[in-house]
Amino acid sequence: MTSFIRLCLVLLGICTLAACQKKDDATTAATGGDTVKIAFMGALTGDVAMYGKPTLEGMKMAAEEINAAGGVLGKKIEIIEADNRGDKQEGAALAQKFTSRDRVAAIVGDPTTGIAKVVAPIAQKAGVVMLSAGSTGPGVVEIGEYIFRNTLLDNVAIPALIDYFARDLGFRKVAMITSDNNDYSVGLSRTFSDAAKGRGIQIVADEKVKDGDKDFSAQVTNIKAKNPDVIFFSGYYTEGALIMKEARKQGMKVNMFGGDGISASTFLELGGSAVEGSVAYLGFSPEQTSGETAAFVENFKKRTGQVPEMFGAQGYDAVKLLADAMKRAGSTDPKLFRTALAQTKNFPGVSGTVTIRPNREPVKSPLCLLEVKGGKYVLKARVPVKLD
Amino acid sequence: MILQQLVNGVALGCTYALIALGYTMVYGIISLINFAHGEIFMAGAFAGLLLVAYGKLNLFLALAGAMLVSVLLGIGVEFVAYRPLRRASRLSALISAIGVSIFLSTLAMLLFGANARGFPEGTFPSRQIDIFGAQISSLQLLIIVTAGVLMLALELVVKKTRIGKAMRAASEDYTAAALMGINVNLVVTFTFALGSALAAAGGVLVGVLFNAVSFNMGLHAGIKAFAAAVLGGIGSIPGAVLGGIVLGVAEISGVALGYSSWRDAIAFAILVLVLLVRPTGLLGKRIDRKV
Repeated sequence: MTSFIRLCLVLLGICTLAACQKKDDATTAATGGDTVKIAFMGALTGDVAMYGKPTLEGMKMAAEEINAAGGVLGKKIEIIEADNRGDKQEGAALAQKFTSRDRVAAIVGDPTTGIAKVVAPIAQKAGVVMLSAGSTGPGVVEIGEYIFRNTLLDNVAIPALIDYFARDLGFRKVAMITSDNNDYSVGLSRTFSDAAKGRGIQIVADEKVKDGDKDFSAQVTNIKAKNPDVIFFSGYYTEGALIMKEARKQGMKVNMFGGDGISASTFLELGGSAVEGSVAYLGFSPEQTSGETAAFVENFKKRTGQVPEMFGAQGYDAVKLLADAMKRAGSTDPKLFRTALAQTKNFPGVSGTVTIRPNREPVKSPLCLLEVKGGKYVLKARVPVKLD
Repeated sequence: MILQQLVNGVALGCTYALIALGYTMVYGIISLINFAHGEIFMAGAFAGLLLVAYGKLNLFLALAGAMLVSVLLGIGVEFVAYRPLRRASRLSALISAIGVSIFLSTLAMLLFGANARGFPEGTFPSRQIDIFGAQISSLQLLIIVTAGVLMLALELVVKKTRIGKAMRAASEDYTAAALMGINVNLVVTFTFALGSALAAAGGVLVGVLFNAVSFNMGLHAGIKAFAAAVLGGIGSIPGAVLGGIVLGVAEISGVALGYSSWRDAIAFAILVLVLLVRPTGLLGKRIDRKV
């Protein structure tokens, strides 16, 4: 036998084995059996792991609580987890696996707007519900009727934030920094510049960086020359921390304001004293809570040893929202509970009261401002959001 | 503000220069683009980080320790991945280098995770120095001075010492040098050791400057430093430093003018332009082929 033929036979053998393996896993459907599968889509390692890891913790906690109380319609929730490392291709590959091999009923994720937009078409096509517990940028739920989220949206929060700038903090000149290979950042900057028009705020500098950049000296020098009252950065925590270090190095005294992208402990670790006084806006704060939220905070602390922040709370709420929708629809089939989910009104989540609008976008109030004080995020203010 | 941007550019450029020196040296001697050089840089940065964060050493001791670690790693890589291929075509050695690069960066990702890590605060209490209105940090100044000092030191070693003579002989004609009784294995090992030590120094200094040490820092910085080395004339030691500075200034100028999305493209566009106009680089020697 020639070595070529031998090689072909070996490859054929490997393919056959792989195909057999596949068949065993694909038999469990989402609706049959005594478990209902919910997949976690997010990053457990990499540059955006600070959003994914807490979301998974929140999800697991909610699943355990629901299962301890008897499960959903008699079925136990099984959380299927995987790590997409913050990579779009990996996210797409995992979404394919969740919908075709694991046959999940729903996917909770992705916390980043960029990967959410990649996963949504896959979930939509497969008829699987996707509920993002973290993405806040535009252009996500428009992808299809199976796509939802339970976050405080940027286009809801930003007008309230800008009013707060002008009225309460007296800021007039803003230097905006956008990370232009980051969907969330690009969308947030656009929302900010649109909302700033006519609200008494002037954007004096519009600088661009990229996720993964390490050197920001040129951009900071440009901004310093314009003498802004505040730096608004619409990107993620690693770059945000490094930008502030560079700003302090060049002698700038102003602080950074940003979205939930800069709310992560890595922002504090990398930034050190340079990020003292910086503020992130998000839809949740573990301080000054009452009732269910306070109980959630206590239990989360006991379970993980850490105080929960927004992603953990929203991950927890996401699983509870899905379970609630399934109960109301009387089924764990996404085709059926999708409608119930779309009709959610005033759901008492631990991260805030959630109502899903007819266009499937969520409405949440209030907006929480977290300031970095003494190396920790401290609640600075709760700003009410206009619910039109 | 122009002066400040110039300062930013030169400082950034010297970080490339530190790495480019290693590339150019190894190529000059054994005609191999050591693609794993960026990973030695990264390994040096991690070694320095661990020594400062867990060994609680001060920065300069950690620097020495990191250089030692990188030297051992560099020599090990040469022994395992390049020496067996010395008789083979240059392409094989190049592919081997790429393989080592992927292996080391993945190993780092598995060992240290994918997050960027910073040096503990206060590792190098950096002061702002004012030069005619432009701000430069004492750390950036240190990097510029280090690049200059290393360049001079390397030139000295290569031009004035016996081992330097052996290196130059081996780079001119490898086989003839061996026939003349030069221990070429020793020369190559020494070259790798020297290059790796430089990379480690660069790694620690850059790691402290940008306060971000991650498994993929070698890939990114390595490509830019390679471009800098080629720009300045691969094989030329002053060329590596010049190439680094030119690249750094060009990159910063691009960003300052508002083209920050194009920052990497500018760097490589310059490389392509220089190669079209002057293929041996700015300071490279003209290659005459005797027919």
